[in-house]
Amino acid sequence: MDRVIPIITNNLDEYASGLLVTLQLVAISFVVAMVVGTLVASLRIAPATPLNWIGAFYVETFRNVPLLVLAIIFSAGLSRAGLSLGKMSAASAALGLYTAAYIAEAIRSGVSAVSKGQVEASLSLGFTYGQTMRQVILPQAFRTVIPPIGNLIIAMIKNSAIVAGSLIALDDILKIARVVNSRTFATNEAFFWAGVGYLLLTIPATIIVRRLEKRLAIKR
Amino acid sequence: MGYLFDPANWEWVFAGRNFMFLVERFLNNIVLALITMALSLVLGLVIALLRISKNKVTSTVTGIWIDIWRNLPVLLILLYFGLALPQEVKEFWVDIAPGWLPPQIRDSGQVVASIIALTVYNSAVIAEIFRAGIQSLERGQGEAAAALGLPYWKAMRIVILPQGLRRMVPATVSQLITLTKDTSLVSILAIQELVAAGSIVNNTSGSPFVGVGVPAPILQVYIVVGAMFVVFNLALSLLSRRLEVRERKRAGDVETVTGLEDQISIKTV
Repeated sequence: MDRVIPIITNNLDEYASGLLVTLQLVAISFVVAMVVGTLVASLRIAPATPLNWIGAFYVETFRNVPLLVLAIIFSAGLSRAGLSLGKMSAASAALGLYTAAYIAEAIRSGVSAVSKGQVEASLSLGFTYGQTMRQVILPQAFRTVIPPIGNLIIAMIKNSAIVAGSLIALDDILKIARVVNSRTFATNEAFFWAGVGYLLLTIPATIIVRRLEKRLAIKR
Repeated sequence: MGYLFDPANWEWVFAGRNFMFLVERFLNNIVLALITMALSLVLGLVIALLRISKNKVTSTVTGIWIDIWRNLPVLLILLYFGLALPQEVKEFWVDIAPGWLPPQIRDSGQVVASIIALTVYNSAVIAEIFRAGIQSLERGQGEAAAALGLPYWKAMRIVILPQGLRRMVPATVSQLITLTKDTSLVSILAIQELVAAGSIVNNTSGSPFVGVGVPAPILQVYIVVGAMFVVFNLALSLLSRRLEVRERKRAGDVETVTGLEDQISIKTV
């Protein structure tokens, strides 16, 4: 363990660039997850049964399949079918579509947590449906949805290692640890610093989510 | 789309032993998940009890332990133990592995690394589930037990834990689903399981010598592999929903601990 300091000082640039790739992957995947997740959530709460089925099918499929399998399908699988995505797009499609299933569930339970009586009450007060959604339902749903989405971002940071480490082979921070390990044989130190890199992202995020959870909690 | 649904690209599923081979290897994932879950439940309970200890130092140190492991990617923990675990420990596993385990699990030294890695991670998550289960009980339960003169450990054993455990069943089952998905990652340590088996089928099925002479395209192979995980995990989540409904009938509207992708929350059902 006497090489802890030299390993990071000698390879700081590589670790920093790896962390940046991880962040980039999470950021792009998050956008994909939010867009697709919102769409799937609206399918699930739409007042038409076939649409609900499509939404439920999406959620149950993507939530129960290992991310590694999705990563293989979106890289080697699709390129065999003649649809070659770039490395970053394949990785963020896999991670984004996987997380979208969880986002959809979070949004759905947020909307259904607002009681039906509130819709009826605001309609009977003369609000239009649009006003009811905008001024009564969505602000409350938004509050319940924020902490779970925060937790999903933390899960995405951790899951980014899986897509990057699959056949897609992005140079994320975990890959850097493997490279440094094979160059220096300092396994403990190489992985220790990658771990520190992940904790630098996930621990502050956890603390923020816990704070938000307390502040946004609605007493019912 | 034509490529995806072309029957010629699906013939491999019914050719020779391709499909049975995948099913057999999926058993390795399930065995790994169950071993890890059993160890994580035991270790998780110990960690949770230390976490809720009245001793500030114990609970803080345990809290840091839990937060560190819970916030690291499983893949990092897995690769680390795969590379760093001494060779002797791996050989020791091959010597002592019980005969009823599938041969690919018995004969690979990396299996012990993956069990340790998955257990370290999952016991931290399970400990949080236990803690949430215990803390979802009304304070009055502990106070009443104390007022009746029950010592701390006895109150824990006969009052708090039986009620807390019941409430954490749904979260434990969702963690088992996450764990089953995570067992796919051990293919990176060259352990033979479903994802690795998919690659074998993809590489060999087309050859008339080692395979059956029917090419198995990678896209279709991994759609089947993914579907096998989905079917197994859906069955688990249906079971969990059943248990939740039964619990609600038995106890009325109580708080339940629910899990979602390693995150735990307490919900009134």
